Amino acid sequence: MRYALTLALLLVMAFSAGAQAPPIKIGFASAMSGPAAITGEGVKWGATLAVEEINAKGGVMGRKLEAYFADNKAQPGEAVSAVRKLADVDQVDVIIGQTHSGACLGAMPVVKEIGIPMVIEACSHPKIRELSGKGGNEWTFRVALDDEIMAHTFARYIARTGVKSSSILAMNNDFGRGAAIAYEAAFKKANVKLLSTDFFDPGQPDYRPVLTRIKRAGAESILAVILASDGAPFMRQYHEVGLTQRVFSRGSLTTAEFLHQVKDNPKIGDGVIEASYWINTLDPEWDKKWTERYKVPPRVHGSLAAITLKWAVVPALEIALKKHGKADRQTIRAALEEVDVKDSPLGPIKFDANHQAWINMILIEMRDGQLKILEKLPTSPALLN
Amino acid sequence: MYAMVAAGLALMLGVARLINFAHGEFFMLGAYAFWYAYSEWGLPYPLAALLAPAVMVLFGIAYQRSVIRAILPRSWHVQLIATLATSIVLTNLAIIVLGAQPKEVPTMLSSRILALGGFRIVWQRLLVLAAALLIFWALQRFVACTRTGKAMRAMSQNREACAVVGMDVQRVAMVTFALSAALAAAAAALVSPLFNIFPDMGTTLTLKAFAAVVAGGFGYVNGAIAASFLIGLTEALAGSYVSYAYKDAIAFLIMIAVLLWRPQGLFGRRIGI
Repeated sequence: MRYALTLALLLVMAFSAGAQAPPIKIGFASAMSGPAAITGEGVKWGATLAVEEINAKGGVMGRKLEAYFADNKAQPGEAVSAVRKLADVDQVDVIIGQTHSGACLGAMPVVKEIGIPMVIEACSHPKIRELSGKGGNEWTFRVALDDEIMAHTFARYIARTGVKSSSILAMNNDFGRGAAIAYEAAFKKANVKLLSTDFFDPGQPDYRPVLTRIKRAGAESILAVILASDGAPFMRQYHEVGLTQRVFSRGSLTTAEFLHQVKDNPKIGDGVIEASYWINTLDPEWDKKWTERYKVPPRVHGSLAAITLKWAVVPALEIALKKHGKADRQTIRAALEEVDVKDSPLGPIKFDANHQAWINMILIEMRDGQLKILEKLPTSPALLN
Repeated sequence: MYAMVAAGLALMLGVARLINFAHGEFFMLGAYAFWYAYSEWGLPYPLAALLAPAVMVLFGIAYQRSVIRAILPRSWHVQLIATLATSIVLTNLAIIVLGAQPKEVPTMLSSRILALGGFRIVWQRLLVLAAALLIFWALQRFVACTRTGKAMRAMSQNREACAVVGMDVQRVAMVTFALSAALAAAAAALVSPLFNIFPDMGTTLTLKAFAAVVAGGFGYVNGAIAASFLIGLTEALAGSYVSYAYKDAIAFLIMIAVLLWRPQGLFGRRIGI
């Protein structure tokens, strides 16, 4: 009798384990090592927190999520390895990444070749939009705005502040070079004279030579395409060299991440105005959870990865499961085309024919060591004209 | 910064005839030791700046005992791979243990500006210059006048002969690594208040310092110091007048030009510190 009961119990357990749906595997690719490792660390933190949050609520239609990570070192070649690792070794169903434009452009042909959907959370090179969807790569989707979309609005705003000339200082990578090209055209259209364009490698200790060069160029403003990690030495040396030009930025200069780094002198970035699509007050509950867990303010790339998961990928998974009863790569890809979220923290998420979402653009100013939203603007393809 | 790191690298090359490709990571670890003492423990700047080299002396000894001792008699290929591997391991360990978030360690002097007419400089940079000159003077005296310094010079000329006459070559190598690590940490403690500390900060620095060591005359410390100043100055001028994006290439162009013109380096005669 005892053996029969034990056997029955084992059978019940085995049956229930077999009946439980397998988890949906989400791959996150970002720079986990190298000079840009701060972005990958943030993505790992944000993804872990978001997956825990979703699973705590029962997962997606009863299916738990599992997060897998791969390191693209912010480089195109490494991004290919990262995609192959996630797709072939971890067997993920969808990838979120690659954070860095160069890595995104490197990963795009391989996700197409393998046939795995990749939702881009932060890469802003304009070419990504051209190549996605009807551009030829039906497997890539992008939530982030690109610099061509933002450049004309931002350049017009800069012109409205009375600025007549500008110098561009941008990161020496696909993100920086893509932005520099976009702003060169946008400045021309907005009648802002571009006096110089310079590039720098991330992690520079000394910006004084290039700041001196900009000073000599005599522009009324600087457009800095720069991340928070380089922002602190840049702003300190801007004051050291004695520049008075207005600073406009793209990247993550006006973020809590930057202010955390310059907490000895938070007003060092006062006056900087940045064109962005994320700021840490968009989702106060998320900010609270992040800060409690990691003891530092929410990081931009980690938060964008989490938003992409929660507001683009999860809705796609729900559509796929409801319509087809499965969430494999092909059905997730098709479902992403149907995603129509009206109220994500970034604004509406609905992918167009080029698989580009038209989220809100935000102008953020640093004032008295605080971040202030100056304007929140809806975007549309009309901005490209 | 280049000069102090290059001086340590030249010392190692001169005495141990080994290029330590993990030397930039000595600088990185020294910077983190300084950050921990200054920001986390709240020690006063001078004390934290002295503690970092002291900690790195211990690290230098441990590194010599664990890695260098085993590879010193092996071929240069083994030495290159072992030190390069150490560099990669240390960088990634720093990411795992200390995180990728850059650390800022501003001091009182790093935001105070000395303005003389059109010339503006923060006081911390003047401190770096003064301290570097003092450290180089002390290094010269140590190598020229002390018994250990003389042993280092002897070893740089002929290691085998030193061993034959009963000199403890492993001990001299250990002192050299400890000293080089301390120099890197002193540089880190001096310049860290001017920029970020992050795990990858040593990688490019090793290559630049190596370029200075080669241009200065393989293993010749004074040559490495002079070449470092030349590289730093040329980089600043190139960044300001030619192209900032390609300023890093300047160090290597200088190295190539020097090697074409004087294959033994600017000040090189033979291996010797």
